[in-house]
Amino acid sequence: MNTIDTMRDTLHNPEQLVADWKAQGKKIVGYRCIYVPEEIIWAAGMWPYPIFGTPEAITQADSYFQPCTCEFIRNIFDHALDGKFNFLDGLVLCNTCDAVRHLYDMWITYIKVPDCHIINNPQKMYDESGYKYYCVELKRFKSEMENLSGNGISDESLQSAINLHNQTRGLLKELYSLRKKDPPLISGGEALDIVMASMLMPKDKCNQQLQQLIAEVKTRESPKTRGPRILITGSIIDDPTLIQLVEEVGGVVVADDLCTTTKYFWQEVGQNKDPLDALSRYNTERCLCSCMHPPERRFDYLWELIEEFGANGVIYFNLKYCHPFLYEAALFREKLAAKDIPTLILEVDHSLSGLGQLRTRIQAFIEML
Amino acid sequence: MVTGATAPGKKSLQTTLEISRAVKAYYGGVQAAKQEGKPIVWSYGLIPREIFHAVGAPVIYLEHLPLLISTKQLSGHYCEIAEEEGFSRDVCAFHRCFIGCAAEEEKHPYLAKFWAPPDLIVASNLPCMSESKSFLYAANHFNCPYFFIDAPINIWGKEIPDYAVEYYAGQLGEALDFLGGYGYRLDWAKLKEAVALSRRLVYLWQEIDGYRKAIPAPMGVVDGLTCAFPLIQLPGTKFGVELYERLRDEIKERVENKIGVLEEEKLRLLWMGVPPFYNVGLLNYPEQYGAIVVKSFVEYLAGGAFDPAIMDPEKPLESLATKALVDIVNPTYKNMIDFDVQIAKDFSIDGQIALVKRSCGLIPAALRLVKDAVYQEVGIPTTIFDLDGMDLREYDDAATKANIDAFIETLLASKRRG
Repeated sequence: MNTIDTMRDTLHNPEQLVADWKAQGKKIVGYRCIYVPEEIIWAAGMWPYPIFGTPEAITQADSYFQPCTCEFIRNIFDHALDGKFNFLDGLVLCNTCDAVRHLYDMWITYIKVPDCHIINNPQKMYDESGYKYYCVELKRFKSEMENLSGNGISDESLQSAINLHNQTRGLLKELYSLRKKDPPLISGGEALDIVMASMLMPKDKCNQQLQQLIAEVKTRESPKTRGPRILITGSIIDDPTLIQLVEEVGGVVVADDLCTTTKYFWQEVGQNKDPLDALSRYNTERCLCSCMHPPERRFDYLWELIEEFGANGVIYFNLKYCHPFLYEAALFREKLAAKDIPTLILEVDHSLSGLGQLRTRIQAFIEML
Repeated sequence: MVTGATAPGKKSLQTTLEISRAVKAYYGGVQAAKQEGKPIVWSYGLIPREIFHAVGAPVIYLEHLPLLISTKQLSGHYCEIAEEEGFSRDVCAFHRCFIGCAAEEEKHPYLAKFWAPPDLIVASNLPCMSESKSFLYAANHFNCPYFFIDAPINIWGKEIPDYAVEYYAGQLGEALDFLGGYGYRLDWAKLKEAVALSRRLVYLWQEIDGYRKAIPAPMGVVDGLTCAFPLIQLPGTKFGVELYERLRDEIKERVENKIGVLEEEKLRLLWMGVPPFYNVGLLNYPEQYGAIVVKSFVEYLAGGAFDPAIMDPEKPLESLATKALVDIVNPTYKNMIDFDVQIAKDFSIDGQIALVKRSCGLIPAALRLVKDAVYQEVGIPTTIFDLDGMDLREYDDAATKANIDAFIETLLASKRRG
């Protein structure tokens, strides 16, 4: 099995890894959203475990959430109800969109175990008062994680965790540089799987595998087919089907601005005498989710990716009822049009129903490019 | 789809009529200010309005404009305009409606009565993502500057910690600096007075609420919706206080004379979610069964559900920050659910009607929690069904009335059985 298949296997079947970790008497803390600082959880001796959805149909969650709530969140809650997350010792959410906030309410009412925590991060970034507020909030969170783990978090252990996670970010960025080639050395579907697997795996293991993977990818032969270079942005994508669809109809997905891809790793935590302060600064000055302000910064970051990866067109993927991205879609299309970058806005449910229609629309867009 | 006629609501109080006139006068004042060359502010109804009154800035609140539009059955038209601008039909109908108002090139004569384009915007993310994002269209469309106030969500309950109050209060100060840059200079004495008047307004609102608990109910929800206007748009003004003093006196007299909306009340209902503003008469519909909708949760969405003692005029920014952050609609849901349970108890509610406005990211996800909490703690049932109170195109009159009929018949049968 080559490294990418090993990583995919871990992503889809993490049970053994979980069992091995638990066998050491260590805890696992689930989290949702990139604004949760994994480093603090890791420094407390616990495994920060990202919660993703699955393509499975919802069974129980619709009797708790109305169908007009984000299907991704309903999907996660469905799995919480059916016990899929029972191995977790804690769950950490943060202040992002309406649906994540409501997941917190539902979780503490109907799931109860494991303990659910929420980080009340600011939504106004690049702002000194927001940064000061967040410093206090992160201290509170650090203390909660110390209590949950039973371990103190020293500056040294936190700095070590930051270094480890920065190494992951750097390796992923190195891997992504191989997508700048024409045609790129890895596909969009592969890239999503690799980043999601990297998010999931304990970083010490992950970094070894990423190094192997980069070496393997560099030896790949350059693909023969070329096509319009596409960047995908928008709501969370946690399954490669849509990206593969773009590639099947002739598009070459060269970059992505998603919370399961570049938003996770594009910047590194800076060096600071106080590592908690460095994390505060990082999380209030990183590339932005659509829930955050100011949107102008988000657009700047998107534009940086478009230029760096030489994208010819943008697919703006919008999960149904994902309000922050829905509001920005029209504005971003207008801004991109002003820079001669065509945009296709897709409003799709998490289970990707109506794939045939989607294929037709994407195909028409690729042909137009 | 519209499958039935819409009807205006029946009002019972003289002060309600006076408040209706005050609404028109309010917008007349904004338009007059525009003509005088004063910069017009667009803002949202959960940002402490006292800061605008204190500096004399004329404001249009972006949730209220759609509400007025909807009472004339025009909301679908404006939602369509927003959709033509690229906004999904899944985003909040209130916000689509205001975006449509902003985008319409030649204003409809009814909208023209209330319309004044913005020169600056003060926006916030309290309480939802729609609030956090929709103003960007207006800022772009009118090319006007904006200031954004970030509200931490309320994970603490009724006691907000100092660091969160400090963060929000600091931004209020920055918002005042922003307004000052457009000629609206702050006079601290006026701000303190606005906070004192706002506190007085909430005390009066709660006194009025005390009378509304009487059986028979001296006023119903149709009056209640109009009477929430001062609470939403006039906190911090003498005029708001005067209106509520008159309302208090009128309602007190009705209670003392045992004058109710209905002669015989068989059921008392609570309305959770957005009422159909295009068909306010639906709120009178249960009356044919001897059932009265005593309270609508919407009345509390912009203040009035907190202890006014938290407001100290000597600490105006901190008071306004605390008021904003404890607002029951600020996620998470704990304060909202606790308050809903309290209303159900205090108003002797027999059943709750809860609406799913499909395009709302805030309320629908709370409904299961609310239903369970009210049942467990008060023992009353809740019916939940789809009803978009803003977008008339989503309204199905027959299905709505069938849902209400079935619920009331069940409640009545249950009461007969004892």
